[in-house]
Amino acid sequence: MTQAAHASLLRPRGGTTGTLLAPATIVAVVLLVAPLFLLLRYSLNRFDPGSLMIEALTLENYVKFFTDPFYRDVLGRTIHIGVVSTAVCVVLGFLPAYFIARTQSVKMKSLLIIAVILPLLMGNAVRVAGWMVLMGDSGVINAAVMKLGLRSEPYRLLYTDLAVLIGTISVQLPFMIITLQSVIESIHPSLEEAALGMGANHWQVFSRVLLPLSMPGVVVGTVLCFIMGMNAYATPVLIGGPTFHMMAPKVYEQITKANNWPFGAAMAIVLMVTTLVLTMLSSWLMARMSGHGSVEAKA
Amino acid sequence: MTRRTPSSPDRRHFIQAAAGASAGLLAAATPLRALAQAKGELVVSNWGGDWNSNVMKALETPALESNGVTVRRDLASAPARKSKLLAERNLPRGKIDIAHFTDADAFELQAQGALSEIDYSKIPNAANMLPGMRNPFFVPWVYSGVVLIYNPNKITTPPKSFADLLNPAYAGRVGLIDQIYFNYLYAFSLSSGGTMKDISKAFPTLLSLKSKVQPRIYPSHQQLAAAMQAEEVWISANYKARVAQWEADGLPVRGAYPAEGGIAIQFGVVIPKRAPNKELAYRYINEMLAPNACRSLAALTYYAPATKNADLPPELRAQVEFSEDEQKRLHLVDYEYAARNQPEWLEWWNKNIKV
Repeated sequence: MTQAAHASLLRPRGGTTGTLLAPATIVAVVLLVAPLFLLLRYSLNRFDPGSLMIEALTLENYVKFFTDPFYRDVLGRTIHIGVVSTAVCVVLGFLPAYFIARTQSVKMKSLLIIAVILPLLMGNAVRVAGWMVLMGDSGVINAAVMKLGLRSEPYRLLYTDLAVLIGTISVQLPFMIITLQSVIESIHPSLEEAALGMGANHWQVFSRVLLPLSMPGVVVGTVLCFIMGMNAYATPVLIGGPTFHMMAPKVYEQITKANNWPFGAAMAIVLMVTTLVLTMLSSWLMARMSGHGSVEAKA
Repeated sequence: MTRRTPSSPDRRHFIQAAAGASAGLLAAATPLRALAQAKGELVVSNWGGDWNSNVMKALETPALESNGVTVRRDLASAPARKSKLLAERNLPRGKIDIAHFTDADAFELQAQGALSEIDYSKIPNAANMLPGMRNPFFVPWVYSGVVLIYNPNKITTPPKSFADLLNPAYAGRVGLIDQIYFNYLYAFSLSSGGTMKDISKAFPTLLSLKSKVQPRIYPSHQQLAAAMQAEEVWISANYKARVAQWEADGLPVRGAYPAEGGIAIQFGVVIPKRAPNKELAYRYINEMLAPNACRSLAALTYYAPATKNADLPPELRAQVEFSEDEQKRLHLVDYEYAARNQPEWLEWWNKNIKV
């Protein structure tokens, strides 16, 4: 049977396509698209402390956000955390992913994968609470440092930018490793052996063969990690402390504490659009980069 | 033999008289009977953590759950719960029967039309509430006031005013709690010659506090307690109830009543506008104001009861209650002013102090 015949057999006919797609489409429209439009509409309303929202069609919430240096800083800090934590995840995640992908023993591979995803089995807030126990002024790290006589005063670890970065990376890293591992596994080891056989050194094998072929995994992992980093909530609130401002906690604060739904909605839209634009931009850039120097491109 | 028909006058009179008497008795006993019999499922909206466990111990378990009422709890921070009630107010039927809030939260909710008016005739125990405590939309359970809290090992002369937090000798040792930022605005308004109705004088004082002593800002009471325990923080302002609780827990802290007066806070309950089981909500409130529940909660939380018949032991009374003079100088929040300006204050606090 030809390939075309196979395809025509597998393709649903008549009303079947619509019937199969309908439930998922309805759920997505009702639960995702409609609330997004509602949020967009709220963001164009005017705020009044007495009556919450006044129906309007104004851009004043967006103007306030982009003209106020405080909120611009909040967005800048959020992008910074998203970009840096994602970059660190790519660097730290590649080797463990490669190691797991090339592990021959099925039992060992399963154990390693379970070890990577184990932290994901508990809630984000619980994991962050663990970091608080480690990094607090009288936490495990400081207690050890002071017990060893290395310092008389505790290090200020909690409520710092570094603490937030560490916490965010710990949340994202398993996603990066698992994504990369599944892609690296599909790259046949004979390609690396061929490159080595033709005189390439290990760095050249990595940069000219392995990395370009792993780019789909890098792109997907980067997108996942970046979206999580940009939308981090529990980590900045719990280990960043009150003086560390990121977008998601500020959106929550505007909606619930200040009752300023229009401004909170505008901030949510800004966060979503920024994440979307940066994600598309980075995917496009990486897709272009992977097109140069790859084995496939030169083949 | 006389034969009486069903409509014979004697029998008719007897039935009428009996029915009248029963109706009279029934009418007299209706509020109590209704409260005693109100059973079923009650959804209570409350803060989580210690507060909820204390409310369970003092009230819900002994007075309601042990007597056939199923209590379901919706636990979250006040802002999240307020948003839920605001969202529910336009629905035909809500989910929450009774909700725990502060007096200021209750005012905001009432201004937004999210609450039912309290019918005090359905709460026999409300007769024992302290003067001035009755509010048409909010039933206070306990109250306290913001006072100074300090470490007597580090600060040997007790502070006298909120202005003492600006003392450069305490640089790096002043702690503030983000959660109750509004109290600092009131406190520094009072210490700078302002009032509770115009807090504009607090802003320059708080900026001066930031530059003089670089206060440490903690997210919640628990973190400040840990910092005071570790002697990282020597002085702060907090509710008298917290001072008493931390002192009882062995923390090195003492309280001091500020010369400008404390800032009052009340904790109590509201009935949402769309509460599905209002009868049971009234039973909850009545049990809440009973001496046992008030006494137990005071012993657990160190907040003073809003009723006069709680009959606290003398030692506890000294820890939780205010003297007559202190009581007179306790400042009440101007809810309308606060609700109108709170979003602006929060933004100012975020931009100027939490950076």
